[in-house]
Amino acid sequence: MTIWREHLPALLLALPLLGAFAAPVAGHFGSRARNVWFVSITALTALVAWGLWQQVSASGIVVYVMGAEHSRLTLPSGMALPVRILLEVDAMSALMAFMGAIAALAGALFSVRSMERFSGLDQFVALYLLLTAGMLGMEITGDLFNFFVFLEIASVASCGLVAFWRDRPEAVEASFKYMLLSTVGALMVLVAVAFFYGRYNTVAMAGVASHLQLGLAEKAALVFLVSALAMKCGTVPMHMWTPDAYAEAPAGVTCLLVAVSQAALYGLFRVCFTLYGASLGSSAVAWALIIMGLLSMFIGVTMAVIQKDVKRLMAYHSVSQVGYMLLGMGVALLVLSDPQKMAAYGAMALQGAVYHLFNYTMYKGLLFLVAGALAYAAGSRNLNDLGGLGRRMPQTAALFVIAAAAIAGLPPFNGFVSKLMIYESSFAVHPLLPVVAMVTSMLTLASFVKVFQTAFLGPEKAALREVQEVPGFMRGGMALLAVVVLVLSLFPTWSVGSFVEPAARALMDRAAYVGAVLGGGL
Amino acid sequence: MWSLIDTGFGFWDVYAWIAFFLLAGGGFFYLRSQGRKDYRRGTDQDDIFYGGNPVPEDGEEITVPASSAYWGFTRALEGWYKGLTAWHSGMATEYLGYMVLVMGLLALAVVR
Repeated sequence: MTIWREHLPALLLALPLLGAFAAPVAGHFGSRARNVWFVSITALTALVAWGLWQQVSASGIVVYVMGAEHSRLTLPSGMALPVRILLEVDAMSALMAFMGAIAALAGALFSVRSMERFSGLDQFVALYLLLTAGMLGMEITGDLFNFFVFLEIASVASCGLVAFWRDRPEAVEASFKYMLLSTVGALMVLVAVAFFYGRYNTVAMAGVASHLQLGLAEKAALVFLVSALAMKCGTVPMHMWTPDAYAEAPAGVTCLLVAVSQAALYGLFRVCFTLYGASLGSSAVAWALIIMGLLSMFIGVTMAVIQKDVKRLMAYHSVSQVGYMLLGMGVALLVLSDPQKMAAYGAMALQGAVYHLFNYTMYKGLLFLVAGALAYAAGSRNLNDLGGLGRRMPQTAALFVIAAAAIAGLPPFNGFVSKLMIYESSFAVHPLLPVVAMVTSMLTLASFVKVFQTAFLGPEKAALREVQEVPGFMRGGMALLAVVVLVLSLFPTWSVGSFVEPAARALMDRAAYVGAVLGGGL
Repeated sequence: MWSLIDTGFGFWDVYAWIAFFLLAGGGFFYLRSQGRKDYRRGTDQDDIFYGGNPVPEDGEEITVPASSAYWGFTRALEGWYKGLTAWHSGMATEYLGYMVLVMGLLALAVVR
């Protein structure tokens, strides 16, 4: 038992990788074997992520060195810096991995039935599991170069999955645009890593963080990393790939892509708080994040209001929701060097951002699955073609209401709590900040009222009289995320105390992150 | 485990809200129970009043399409939307351009 627990970080990556490479073999034994393999691998990955989170909660940061004599031997033979591939899992990484694994499981359950009409499913499953591995790798790696490698794995798999319906020109175009931006973004990350390696002879995050002194190279690396990661999570004005890619990917994939974009946001958290922390010096990056957050919120939501394609509408809401997290992150970063202000509202802003990230991944994943269910049952994503489906698809309608209420920040749902934390803490910086956030929230509600009214309410349309509720597996995927949303809503103190607060504290405790690797190994 | 979340400026108590919704729900059902007793489902009492005209068979003919929703809002912000939709051109080169622009602005702010 102890041996298994020690290797959980490696297992978390090995499972989806094994799943990906063996998917064509499973497919050789028929679609049932492939589906069992697909769901089993994602379920096991979620279990391992849960086990890892429990381990981190119980005993603090978990470090795992690949190929070392002992898995925790970070500095062999008296070396000053780690040289091997390093996984470092603190409360923030563990939360991200758990959250991502749940989204992957929900997307897999949904895809089992929603994709059965299509061919090429061996490749689909392989790419899906590869994307899961890339996302989890970004979240638990302890070194910058491997962050880049996992980012690339995730990007390549994403491009393949966005263009999965390659007979649709829109899908191929969306994939091409995403590939173009991802390649440039990844190149920027690689250049930043090269700067660090040239300056400090290491790519371990802890090693770089412990020696970092802000010079021209570090500033250039910061600009590259912030720009690339902000693009990857869909920040205005670099958000335009988001509606294209999210709308064209199969719904189960979009659910996972939401979690993958949050892995990029996690990277931004890691760079700002762990790598640079108080060494950031000026407030330029903090204000840049706040401004990009405000722009993302408002532009994202106003674009969403006018959409009639349900998936594009939800994709623009993704842009808008990322804005809340950037606002919370920016406020916390702004006062990071001031312990008094940090205690007064900075820590709350950071907790709000982390909590919103968790909430967003769950309810947005659910919303995309609902959009997929509508397209599956009614054969259209165009809201003009839908109507009166609440009678034909009552369970999907109920799941949509839960997710829509959560994203709109209606009490007593979880979205309200995280937004409240962000409103109140950002008010301390400037009263205009929460005003923009609240206007965004109102427009979000308006937008989802529109979806509910046009898709689920109103008189039945003649073309939709044969529509039936979606199959059980698809409802199962949606229900999994709905249950998480309800748990986060009904037990907010437990959610914040168990998941959010430790994650935010881990981000602020740079010394602990560095010490876990450079503190002497065994 | 079930106590309040203190935000530093206020607090959040989900159970107070649930109690409120239960009370409001109770009030709603009480008022509903006071309504007309002669209502019968499935009779002509259920018929939609459509300005005195016969109700069309297909619901499509009597619904407001999604593209017309919030017409007043979008009309009032016509200038904003004109600029915003033109900005979302779908050109990949522009997507890259905005990335370079952000990088340049951030570099100016950070390196200065």
